[in-house]
Parts: sequence; C-alpha cells; structure tokens
Amino acid sequence: MFRSNMRVYVLLLVIFSLHVLSARPVSADQSKFSGEPLIANKPKQPAAKALHQIIDEQIQSRQKVDSQSASPLSSDSEFLRRIYLDLTGRIPSIHQTRDFLNDSRPDKRTILVDQLLASPEYARYISQQLDVMLMERLKKKFINVTTWEEYLRQSVAENKPLDHIIQEIFAADGSDKETQAAARFYLARNGDVNELTRDISRIFLGADLTCAQCHDHPEVQDWKQDHYYGISAFLIRSFVFTDKKKKQTVFAEKAEGEVKFESVFEVRDKTSKGPETTLPVVFNGTAIPEPAFKKGEEYEVKPAKEVRPIPKYSRRAQLGIAITSPQNPRFARTMANRLWDMIMGRGLVHPLDADHSDNPPSHPQLMDVLTEQMIAHQFDLKWYLRELVLSEAYQRSSTNDLFKSKAARELDDSYFTHAIMKPLTPEQFAWAVLEATGQAEIHRKGLKQKLTEASLRNKLVSYERQFVSLFGGLPGKPVEGFEATADQILYLSNNQAILGIISARSGNTADRMLKIPIEQSETMADELYLSVLNRHPDQIETKEVASLLAGKTGKDRSAMVVDLIWALAMSSEFRFNH
Amino acid sequence: MRCNYACGAHESLTRRSFMGGTTAGALSMLGFSGMTQVQAAKKLASQQKQVVVFWLSGGVSQLETWDPKPGTETGGPFQAIPTSVPGVHISELLPHAAQQMHHLALVRGINTKENDHGKGAYIMQTGRKKQPGFAYPYLGSTFSSHLAPPDSPLPGYISVGAGGSSAESTFLGPRHAPLVLSNGKAPNNLEMHQSLTADRDAKRRSLRSKISQRFEQKRKTAHTEVYNESFDQAAALMGRRDIFDFSKFSDKDVERYGKHDFGRHCLMARQLIEKGVTFVKVGHTNYDTHSENFNFHIEQLGEFDKPFAAFISDLYDRGLLDHTLIICMCEFGRTPRINQRIGRDHWGTAWSVALGGTGIKGGAVSGKTNETGTKVIDREVNGGHLFHTYYQAVGLDSTEEFYPNGQPIAKADPKTEPLKEILA
Repeated sequence: MFRSNMRVYVLLLVIFSLHVLSARPVSADQSKFSGEPLIANKPKQPAAKALHQIIDEQIQSRQKVDSQSASPLSSDSEFLRRIYLDLTGRIPSIHQTRDFLNDSRPDKRTILVDQLLASPEYARYISQQLDVMLMERLKKKFINVTTWEEYLRQSVAENKPLDHIIQEIFAADGSDKETQAAARFYLARNGDVNELTRDISRIFLGADLTCAQCHDHPEVQDWKQDHYYGISAFLIRSFVFTDKKKKQTVFAEKAEGEVKFESVFEVRDKTSKGPETTLPVVFNGTAIPEPAFKKGEEYEVKPAKEVRPIPKYSRRAQLGIAITSPQNPRFARTMANRLWDMIMGRGLVHPLDADHSDNPPSHPQLMDVLTEQMIAHQFDLKWYLRELVLSEAYQRSSTNDLFKSKAARELDDSYFTHAIMKPLTPEQFAWAVLEATGQAEIHRKGLKQKLTEASLRNKLVSYERQFVSLFGGLPGKPVEGFEATADQILYLSNNQAILGIISARSGNTADRMLKIPIEQSETMADELYLSVLNRHPDQIETKEVASLLAGKTGKDRSAMVVDLIWALAMSSEFRFNH
Repeated sequence: MRCNYACGAHESLTRRSFMGGTTAGALSMLGFSGMTQVQAAKKLASQQKQVVVFWLSGGVSQLETWDPKPGTETGGPFQAIPTSVPGVHISELLPHAAQQMHHLALVRGINTKENDHGKGAYIMQTGRKKQPGFAYPYLGSTFSSHLAPPDSPLPGYISVGAGGSSAESTFLGPRHAPLVLSNGKAPNNLEMHQSLTADRDAKRRSLRSKISQRFEQKRKTAHTEVYNESFDQAAALMGRRDIFDFSKFSDKDVERYGKHDFGRHCLMARQLIEKGVTFVKVGHTNYDTHSENFNFHIEQLGEFDKPFAAFISDLYDRGLLDHTLIICMCEFGRTPRINQRIGRDHWGTAWSVALGGTGIKGGAVSGKTNETGTKVIDREVNGGHLFHTYYQAVGLDSTEEFYPNGQPIAKADPKTEPLKEILA
C-alpha cells in the first residue's frame, strides 16, 4: 500500500510546483518502523520537537496548573478500536483485533497508525469527513455527487495539501470537465451570495457571521458588518448560469456589481451617510485592489442573451488565494482546530465557528503552535492527523476514577485529560455494525480476487446511506453533538436490514459462534466480544454468556446468539468511539 | 438591507418542517428521581392538565391578528371586526377565531426587546433571555416534566410540523425532549420485528442495558444516558402506537380543518390531546413577511384561521378545553412601519399573543398599545410574565425553583409576575 501511495506521489511531482514538495516525507517506508514522524525534519530546526510532544507538554501544563487528574493511557483494545474508527471509519475485524492484541512489539501502536494512514479506507473515510465539513450533507444540485466524492477521495489518497484542495474548490466554476466536481461547493448552494458568505466564514474562518449581515454582530465585538461584506464582495458579481446548448450549469461572473450595506439598527438615523461598500477583503486583511478598464473593455466575452460573460478581471478568482494566504492565519487556525475536533472530540476553540477574543481557545498557546505548524508543514493533512493520534492526549483512556462520583460527572472535557467519548458518525456506525455482525466479512470472502476497498464498499453502501439518512441530521444542518431520536432507535430495534444481517448466515459472526461446540462457552464469549467490541470479555461477561446459552439448543440457541450480538452492538460501548 | 435569508434560526426551522421522517423525534427516560413527596403530590393534582402551543414561525403580525389599528398610517388595508366578546375587536383576517373569542384572552402589551428569530424564539419558549453558560428548558419539556404522569408510556411532548431538538429539555433530561413528527406521519418501524416476541424483546433490551451499565461505570454518562433512555422510550412508544394512527379522520373533519398540512396537523394534535399526550406543539410557517406582508397574511391566516377555530371549538365540545391550555404565539411581532417592499420587519417592541382554555378568563384583554401600535402604553410585559401565567393557568406554582445539580433555578423569571387579569 505504501508503494502505491508513493506512485501517486510521483505523479504529484509532475503536477505540482516544487515548493509543495520541499516538506514532503522522504521515505514512508523508513519511518514506518522507526517510529519517527513521517515528515522529514525541517532543515531550519533540525532538533525541533515533534508536534505530538508539544501537544502533550501544552495539555499537561494547563492540567497541572488546575491540578486535574488525567486518565491512564488507553488499553490496547481501547486504542485499537479508536484508531480504526478515527482513521478508517470502521472497527477492526476479529482477525485484525486478535493480531494486534497478540502483537508484542513495543511500537505496535505507531506501526498500526502508519498502516492505517496508508490504507485505502483512510482516504475514503477522511474524505467523507471533509465532505461533511465542506458540504454539510447538502443534496445534489447541478454537480454529480459521486464525482465530487471521488474528487475528494482521490485528493486525500494523494495527500494533496489541504490548502490546495480548498483553492481548487474555490477556483472551479463547473465549466471544465476536469475540475467540474469541485464546483459543487458553490453550486449546491445555488451560488447564493449570502449562503456562501455565511458558510465560507463559518467553515474556513471559524466565524459565524450570520448576524453581521444586517448589522455589526450584537454580541461579538470583533465581528463587524464589514467582515461579512468583505467576503460577500468576492462573490457579489457571480451568478449561476445554465448554458442551454452545452446543457451545463456553471458559476459565471460579471465585471460589475458592488456590495452595499448599512445597519438596520441605524436605518432611521438621519445622519446616516447611506449604504457603504467595500472591496473584497478577508477579515482584517488588506482589501484587494482592482485593475481599471475603460468603459466597454471590461470583458473577454461580453454579456449577451444566452451567452456566458467572461470578465477580464475575476473577483472570485481572488477568493481561494485570499482565504488560504499566509496573510490570513484564520484559515490555518480554523483547519487545525476542525481537524483537532474531529480526532479529539472537541475543538480547542469551541464552538468551532466562534473564534473571537471573548471566546479564547482552551489552550491558546497550543492553538498558535498548531496553526504555525500547519502552515510550516504546508497543510499536510496526513502528517497532521498522524501527530494528533501519536499524542498521549489522544491515547488516553475515556475512563477516569473521578467519573465514579456523581459530582464529577461533568469533568471538563476542555482539559483533554481523558479521551472524550465521540458518538460514532453515521458512516462509522454503519460500517461498525457491518463489521461486528460479520456482514462485511461475508462479502470480503465472496469477492475473492476482486476484493478492493471500492468493490466491498459497492456491495455495502446501501447500509451506509440508510445510516446517514437516519443519523446524519438534515441537509445543511448535520447533526452536532449527540442525539438519539425515535426513528433511529426503532430502526435499530425492528428493521429487517439490521436484524437480517445479525441472524446466522454462512461465515458471519452468529454462524461462527454457533459452530463452536456447546461446551466451549468461554470460546464463544471470546469470539463474541472480540467480534463486536474488539476486546476480550472479563470473567463476569464470560459467565453471563455461558449462563444465557446454557441448555439452549437448536432455534433457542440461535435466537440467543442473535440477541447477544444485538445487545452488544446496541450497547453504549458500541455506540460511542471511546 | 433586511435579513431576508440568513436569519439562521428561522431558516433552520423551516428546513426542518420540509423534511421527511428524518428527524422524527428525540426520546428518553422514565421516572422522576429526586422529586420530593410534596412535589409528587402536587404533580398528581395537576396531572390531567394538557397544553397545546400553536407556533406561528417567522413572526405573525399583531396588526393583522390580535391588535389591529385600522385607518392609521401603520394599520394596513384590513378592517377590525367584532368578536363573540362585546368590545373586543380583532383583524378581519380571523373571522372564525373571532367567534371563539369567549374562550380566548389576548395579551397586547408584549415587549421582549428582541428582533432576532433565534433569540426571540428562545425568550418565548423558555421565558428568559438567552444567557451564556446556562440553558433553560423549553416549555414543552417543562410542562412534560410537570404534568405528564410519571408512569405514562406516552411521550410528554410531541411536536407536529414544528421542528424541535432533543436539546430542548436540557437538565430535565431526555424523557422530556420533543418527539418530532415532521411529516404528519407516525415514526417508521413502530411494529415489533416479526422474528421477536414481546418477552424476547424485553430480555434483549435488559441485556443491552446491563452491558451498557458496566461500560459506563467510570465514564462520562451525559450522552450514554440519553442513548439508553431512548431505548426504553422507544419500547413504550411501540406499546402505544395506536396514538399515531392518523388514518381515521372523518371526511367531515378533513373538510372542516382544511386539506392542507396545517389542517391535518391540527387534527393530529386533537387526537394526541384526546389520547392523553401532555404537550403538543403545532407549527404553521411563513410569517416572516419582509415583503408583501398583506398578501402573505391573507394567504397564511386564511389557512390558519379555520382549523385553529375548529380546534378550540372541538376541544370545548368534547370537554377537553376545561383542562387544556392553548397558547398561540411566535418569536416576535412585526413592525408597525410598512417598508418599501410593502413588508413588515422584525418587531419585539409591542406585540401580542393569544391564550385560551384552562385557567384563562375568556374574553379578557391585557395590555394596550398606542394608536399606531408603535409602543406599549399600558401593562407592558415580557416572556417572564407569560411563563408565570402559563404555570398558574395549569395550576402550578410559578415561584418555585428547579434544582439541577443542587442549584436553585427559578421556574419563571422572579422579576416578573403572572397576568392575574387574564387568569380565571
């Protein structure tokens, strides 16, 4: 897998300019066994600490000041389940579970991390998470969703720098077949200037400027109406254009059009000078000056009926450059924080789109370091995620003795002194159920030589879709935090899709359990717990399984096995990534 | 220069109501741990009370409904009409509601000082201004917790076409979060799977719960509790799926309530109240009329008026109005000033709500605005006063406190008091 990744990488050499390459991994294979970071040491700071070490220093220093008691390091089973879920979107198979638990190499965690980062499932799952971040589960509009998903998957597989992905997305207008998919960001939002302004600010700048559309933000001192319209100004000239001949819808642009704004609070103020305007500008950066053209010479292609105009100067072309520019640290900071939230279960800046001076990060210095390093490592997604998961903060247990007492139930997550329990994403939940029940394994065997990540996914994607529709929230409003709704629980309890895959079929978990001789109840309990919860059962659990199955034969026995699998897969231990 | 699009809260509410069964309902736990005996006794005494909220999302105009100002510069084109209560006039857009006025009381002196959809909705549904760091429960959850019988298998709070989130119940717990019926349908998968029996289902659920408890011993349980309780609630719901059989409305009723979503939702609400659900919220939307205010109100209120009036009259005929409180409200009113697009904008400064049913003095009017409706000139009140009034109307003491985490939290804003003048 590393080899195929390198091949893609060589391809990248050709495509991208040299500066992208300067900080690329020298040799993935070398680092695979050394436990060293994948990234080559930067020449300027040869003795620089790895980011994961800095993370732990920062987390520990705040913890010490407030004398929080940190949770112990996670057990191998805890770590195994967590790292699989976070990097590949599923739990490990029973074989993978056994292999890892039996592995005695001291650096087996790092080895596993590198294996998973190189797997095709990593590219799939992380691209899905990026998709949710960028598109918030919006429905199809103009652009084919599968092509978009494939574009993101490919980008993550190549480990394309995150800022490049975002630049491509902002540069795409949907007219060029090669880059058409990336135009989904604009077009699924119907090119609406307000919707785009709101989403761009929230997603890439960590600022929910919704309230600053009509007036300066009433509660956030830092956020002004100028910020809202600074972003709007990039987009105010753009519009959705459908070329009837080509049967193609694109995001077109005119050469004229300015934003106008005034506060609704002051609209009756007689001293008001009337609406203001602004050039495109990202937050407190420099407004982007524009070339002047003689009247009548503003266009390459002049606007006419049924003709897509092309201006000589495109404001929108400046957007991706301005957002991802080093002059705009909000971008790197927001990306670093969003990815941190994805892996750690909570942002350093929290909520993710409330990054302002009245809501400082839980660890301000760490936030700065993450931002700087994100820029220094040229938005290397894989490197960044790797550093996060190698940290002790990530690898802590979700248990803490303090949780035993009722008063400490709300032990503050923002210290990152225990692993935060993350509800499984809909994708994780679907694939975890498919793995736990053995449904995935049946298809792996069935595919034989044709088995690839894509072919397996093809067979099982309908389950994923079902989970996304039930657990994913609404288009444009993906679920945040944890919710349990009637629809979900009734589906898990009564739907044929779930109960069908649990019941015994050749090669699945129930079938494997039923093939174990009745008298070997310990082996059965082990098989069950390793398959579903990726850990060995303790004594109580082994006894419980034995007593539930004792004396049961035939149909009664199969029914009990099915109910055991269901009960484990529906338990809170399964529902959360802990 | 208006919030024509990005006004977040309202937008999301509308989106929710367009959706199919995808959000149907957050659920929860049974039991009322931590309640004293006195509280429990009071609870028993008020158990039969029920509440229905009509939520007019976007902010209906008080001038086109409960506080018309015909013939003034702000009044718009519509007349005021007499009602079943001598001396009380409302907009001619509500002819049917006018005939039910003897069951209703009006509060015309509301000043919530809030022109934001989300924050206005918060004030009206929690009785407080939003404060960082503390989340008050929404009134559906509040009344579910106070009024729903502890052993009832029914959800205490059902929202019909009005959205809702499991976060609404805050410290009252998931048992009191709304069950959302977003598309006028019962939740899917209510029937037990054919391979199961009730006994087997109960056993596997108790096993599930035992396994979960072992896991949770040394872990944070805020979310796992919600998850576990939702299984109990789902099971209880399966046992009472009869309440969701919405297939038996008579042709005559369908005719009377109107063949549109809102009419159907009102019929559903009637059934849910008849079956004993404690709190039902019914939504009607599209009142955010920044442009074409008058045309929109003709259309929307034309849909609203008849089923709303039929609902009140039916509850009265069936003897349900005696113990059911009705509240018709929204996040704010609309500006008296008519803007350039013949619209009215957000206005929390001087507006109205209507109450009716149990504990309410039919035909009473509280508060008064000036001639053009730009100011409250008598009995100015806010969300706090209304909350006290709701509590008192269903026979509860609004000056008591909740004790989440041992801290006293006043049930209704102590700086305000109930509107005695409209209480029966």
